[in-house]
Amino acid sequence: MKKTAKTKMSLLMVACLSLTMMLSACGSGGGPTDSAAPSGNTNNNNTNQTTTAAAGSELDKALKGEYKGTKVTMFGPFVDADQKKFESSIKDFEDKTGIDIQYEGSKEFEATINIRVDGGSAPDIADFPQPGLLASIAKTGKVVDLTKVLDQDKMKQNYNKSWLDMSMMDGKDGKIMAGIWNRSNVKSLVWYPKKQFEEAGYKVPQTWDEMMALTEQIAKDGDPAWTIGIESGAATGWPATDWIENIMLRTTTPENYDKWVKGELPFTSPEVKHAVEVMSKIWMNKDYVYGGTKSIVTTAFGDAPKPMFDNPPKAWFNLMGNFITSFFPETAKVDQDYDWFYLPPIDEKYGKPVLVAGDIYAMFNDRPEVRAVMQFFTTGESIKTWVQSGGVIAPMNDASLDWYQSESDRRMAKLVQDATTLRFDGSDLMPGKVGAGTFWKGMTDYVSGTATLDNALKQIQSGWNN
Amino acid sequence: MALKKKRKGGKTVVNIILGVICLIWLLPTLGLLISSFRPAADILQTGWWNVFPHQEWKAAGETIKLPKDVDLRGPIEVNGKTYTDEQLKAGVEVDGSRLKWENRRARTISVEKQGWVTSTDLTLDNYKNVISGKEYTLKNADGSATTEKGTGLSQAFWNTLTIAVPATVIPVLIASFAAYAFAWLRFPGRKTMFVIIIAMLVIPIQVALIPVLKDYTSLGLNGSYLGIWLAHTAFGLPLVTYFMYNFISQLPKDLFESAFMDGASHFTIFSRLILPLSVPALASIGIFQFLWVWNDYLVSLIFIGNQPNVQVMSMKIADLVGSRGNDWHLLTSAAFISMLMPLAIFFLLQKYFVRGLMGGSVKG
Repeated sequence: MKKTAKTKMSLLMVACLSLTMMLSACGSGGGPTDSAAPSGNTNNNNTNQTTTAAAGSELDKALKGEYKGTKVTMFGPFVDADQKKFESSIKDFEDKTGIDIQYEGSKEFEATINIRVDGGSAPDIADFPQPGLLASIAKTGKVVDLTKVLDQDKMKQNYNKSWLDMSMMDGKDGKIMAGIWNRSNVKSLVWYPKKQFEEAGYKVPQTWDEMMALTEQIAKDGDPAWTIGIESGAATGWPATDWIENIMLRTTTPENYDKWVKGELPFTSPEVKHAVEVMSKIWMNKDYVYGGTKSIVTTAFGDAPKPMFDNPPKAWFNLMGNFITSFFPETAKVDQDYDWFYLPPIDEKYGKPVLVAGDIYAMFNDRPEVRAVMQFFTTGESIKTWVQSGGVIAPMNDASLDWYQSESDRRMAKLVQDATTLRFDGSDLMPGKVGAGTFWKGMTDYVSGTATLDNALKQIQSGWNN
Repeated sequence: MALKKKRKGGKTVVNIILGVICLIWLLPTLGLLISSFRPAADILQTGWWNVFPHQEWKAAGETIKLPKDVDLRGPIEVNGKTYTDEQLKAGVEVDGSRLKWENRRARTISVEKQGWVTSTDLTLDNYKNVISGKEYTLKNADGSATTEKGTGLSQAFWNTLTIAVPATVIPVLIASFAAYAFAWLRFPGRKTMFVIIIAMLVIPIQVALIPVLKDYTSLGLNGSYLGIWLAHTAFGLPLVTYFMYNFISQLPKDLFESAFMDGASHFTIFSRLILPLSVPALASIGIFQFLWVWNDYLVSLIFIGNQPNVQVMSMKIADLVGSRGNDWHLLTSAAFISMLMPLAIFFLLQKYFVRGLMGGSVKG
C-alpha cells in the first residue's frame, strides 16, 4: 500500500513536471517574447558604448545608417491621438536611420515609471511631464548625465537659457543634466469665442484692469464672463494652481516665484495670499463665473470651455494651456471661432511673464543608438509634424515659426520666444506631496468653501513639512 | 398544509429581496448600455433616462422681449410682475406655463409649456470608434490633412484571451493537485505547508511587484506571455488552492476507501473520481480566476506593459480616453465590449453550477 502510494506520487510529480515543461516550451515559442523583452539585452550592450564615444556625434552616425536594426525603447504618458502625432513625427527619423523607436504610452506613467526603474527594467528613454518626478529619480543616480552625451555648445544655441537651467538637477554626486525639453505648452492663455466676441463689440484687454472692467461689462450685458472648472478626478484642483502661478508671476518678482517653488517662500506669506485674493475677485463673484463659484469644483476642466461654444455664448473666457483645444467641439475653427489672448500683466514692473509647462526626456541606458535618438530629440525636426498638427509648441530655437499651421499657434510660439520672464509651472516643479498633493487639495477646499483662505494656505504649506 | 403555505410565503419574500438586489445591480449597467448608444454631446448634457418618454418644459413658440437696458441685478418686470434674475434663470411657473431666459444677453424670455419628450437620438459611433479604432487627423507641411485610423480592440482582445486562458487553466490545475494532496495524502509538514498557503491569502500583491519585476528583468521574462502567466498563476494560487481544498476535503471518505480497495492509485482517484466530482467547483473558481485575469490592470501594467503586440483590453480601454481624458464617452461602449467575454464564459459554465453537486455518487 505504502509503496504504491510512493510510486503514484512520483507519477504525479512527473505529470506536474511535464506540464511545466510544456508551458515553458509554449512560452519561448510565443512570438512576442523576443520583441517585448529588450530590457534583458541592455546590460550586454553597455560595453559597446566606450568604443564609439569619439569622433563625430552619434546622430551623424545614425543618419549614415550605422545603427540600423537596433531598438530603442521609450516610455511616456501620452496615448491615443498624442501617441499617433508623436509616432508620425519620429517616423522619418526611423526610416532614415533604421533605428526602431518602440514607444509605449501609459495613462499610469507616473505610477509605473518608479516601479520600472526600481525593478531594473527602465526604458531607454522616458518622457516626464512633471520635472519634479524626474528630479526625485535623478537623485537615485539612475539617470544618465547628459552633459557628455550632448554637445553643450549646440544645446546653448538651440535652447533658451531658462530651459537649460531647468534641466539641471541634483544627481547622486552633484548636478547633472537630467533631461532635454522636447515639447512644451503655454499656460498663460485666455481662450475666448472670437467671432461672437467681436460681434458683441468687445476688445481684447491689454491690462488686468481692462480685463476686470470687461468682465464687469459682460456681467452687466447678461453673461458671466469666466467659465472655470477644476475637477479632474484624482487631480482635482490643478487648474487652480495655474491661476495662482500666473498671478504670482504678475504680482511679485521672478526671484520670489523661484523661492516659492523651492519652498523658501511659504504659502502663508503675503505674496502668495495676495495672489489668491486677486484670483478670488473673479472666482468668488457669482456674477463672473458660469454656474457660480460652487460649480467650479464640480465642473471638469475639459467641460468648462463648452459654454463658450453655445450660440450665443453662455460664457466668454477660459484660462487654460494650449492643450485645451482638444476638448473644443470639432466643428469650432481656430482663428475664426475661437482664439486666445495673453493673460494681461497686473503690475507693469514685472513685464510680460509667461508660464509654460513641458515634457522632459531622460535617458536611462547609455547605448550609442540611444544617444543618437536623444540628440535627435534636441532638434526642432523631431517635433515638426506634431507642431504642424497643432497642440504643442517646440521649445527649440531651430523650430521655424512657419511650421505652425494656425495663426494662433504661431502667436503662442512667438509669445514664448519674446517672453521677458519664462517660468515653468510651479506645481509641477514642487515635490509631489505639495505640487500634486496639498496644493491641489488646499485650493479645492478654499474654492468649495470648506476652508478659509488662511487655513487653506496653512494646509498647503504643511505639505512641505512631511 | 399550513407549513407549506408558510414556506411559499417565505419564498416570495426571498424572491422580492433578490429582485430588488438584481435591480440595484442592473440599473447602472442599463444606464451604461443606453449611454453607450448616445452621442457624446448628449451624454454630457443629459442623463441616460432622458431616452424614455418624460415630461419636460418645452418652448411654446412665444417669447417676451424686454427692453435692452434692463438691469439684471435689480428686480425685473415681466408682464406686470417682478422677478429676480435667479428666478428667471431657474424658470418661474406662472399659470401653467414657465418663464425662463431664452437669451439673457438679448433680454428675451421664452414662455414654456409642459409636454412629453423623448430624445431618441441614438448612434453607433461609440462602438465604431472603439471596435475599429478612432480616426486621427494629422496635418502636413502644405496644410493638407491626412486621416489615420487608430488600432481597434481586436488585437487587444486576442492578447487578453491569450493571457487569460492559460492564466486560468494553470492555477486551477495546479491547485486541484495541491488541494487533493492536502486533503487526502498524509505527508510530513502537511499542516504547516497548508497554513503557509493560507497565510499567503492576506499578502497584498503590491508588495511583490518590484521584487518579482527585478527577477523577471534578470530572467528576461518582462513583457512576455510566459511571465504574465506565471505572475497570474502565482498571485491566484493561494485562493484557488484554498477553495479547491474546501471542496475536495468535503467529498465522502468512503469513496476513496472503496477506490483504494479496488486497487486504484492516487492518480487514478484524482483523474477518475476527484476531477469529475469537482466540476462545479472547478467551474466556479475557473470563472473567478478568469474574471480576475480578464479585468486585471495592475499586473498587466507592471509585467507586460503597453506595447501594442501584447497590450491587454483593460489597458487599451484606459488609453482610449486620450492623454487628458477628453474622450471618456468611449468608455461606455468599451466597457460593454469587454464585458462580452466574461458574460459568454459565465453562461457557458452556468449549467455546471445548476447541476447537482454530488448527484448519486455515493451508492452501494
